[in-house]
Amino acid sequence: MKRRGQSIQISESIMADSATDDLEPLFDYRRVQPRDFVSIDDDDSDTSPDPSPKRKKVPDAAVKKVDEEVEVIKVVDHEEDWLPPPPPPPPKVSAGVQNKHGEDSTIKELRRKKEELVSLVSFAQSAKDLFQEVEKRPEAETEQLSNPHCERAKIVISIQDKDGIKQFRIYVDDKFERLFKMYADKVKLDVQSLVFSFDGDKIGPAATPNDLGMEDNDIIEVHLKKI
Amino acid sequence: MSGGIARGRLAEERKAWRKNHPHGFVAKPEMQPDGTVNLMVWHCTIPGKAGTDWEGGYFPLTLHFSEDYPSKPPKCKLPQGFFHPNVYPSGTVCLSILNEDSGWRPAITVKQILVGIQDLLDSPNPADPAQTEGYHLFIQDVAEYKRRVRQQAKQFPPLV
Repeated sequence: MKRRGQSIQISESIMADSATDDLEPLFDYRRVQPRDFVSIDDDDSDTSPDPSPKRKKVPDAAVKKVDEEVEVIKVVDHEEDWLPPPPPPPPKVSAGVQNKHGEDSTIKELRRKKEELVSLVSFAQSAKDLFQEVEKRPEAETEQLSNPHCERAKIVISIQDKDGIKQFRIYVDDKFERLFKMYADKVKLDVQSLVFSFDGDKIGPAATPNDLGMEDNDIIEVHLKKI
Repeated sequence: MSGGIARGRLAEERKAWRKNHPHGFVAKPEMQPDGTVNLMVWHCTIPGKAGTDWEGGYFPLTLHFSEDYPSKPPKCKLPQGFFHPNVYPSGTVCLSILNEDSGWRPAITVKQILVGIQDLLDSPNPADPAQTEGYHLFIQDVAEYKRRVRQQAKQFPPLV
């Protein structure tokens, strides 16, 4: 009843609404409502089984680990296929490890890990938490170590003199005076006697690669000051 | 969209130049007052070759590319009144590789153009004069010609 009252009010103000007003009685809202209830039930059922996938995550991760190791072995096999008689020089480390332990030891390792995993799965929530903690700790540590490097992006800059190019790797937010000093030390010249330019413009010592919008392998030219 | 071709090629030229170019040369697309880049006009610098009368001069050159580039060569302009037998009074450089009807090929790079003009500075082509003063002195009074060249080099000192 209320709805009709509202629609009538609207139709009074807007002529076009009269058409929708005629259609409205055909639409039975009571049919829609049960559906909503069903969907709410679905949501509940979606949220309730959440814990079980979480529990599954432990064995999943473990299975992935096993898979990774199996894959490593496969890769090694491929390498052997491609380079049959002479031992490949660059991947010496992996090849050497594989030769020493042989496939037996890797299979043993896999078995041991499987057993560990089975026992882990049998443990309840507490075991799972421990396992996750153990896994998280090294991750957090490595993140702490690697993050400072990632945050300060580096850039490769070429310094070109009349005789050739020397490449330097510096931080994009590092002042150029440091790079100039590095270069001057390398070529054994007084940094005061050198002028550095990028795209024909002199580079101030306080500028940074970021300031000049520089990209990897961009060239800085160095000129000797004329006295 | 030939303009797309020209701009695409010029973007590639600029990219390549940033990574590798001969020492002392400058080549960069024009920066417009609103801070955007106009790839169709490049401001360049050509250093006079060491060991020649042109040494010590850093000559400004402007490249004007058309929408038909690289089918057609860019127009290359030195400063107006530049002293050289093969430079028109307007500053336009007269060089075979920059002539659509003779030496130009679409594969010629910006770097090749600039190095070609550097070569032309000390090796004028008297068979194809573009200005009277430079041409006559080069033919008739080599000493005076050389003096004028050295004088002009001093007028274009390095920017840095």
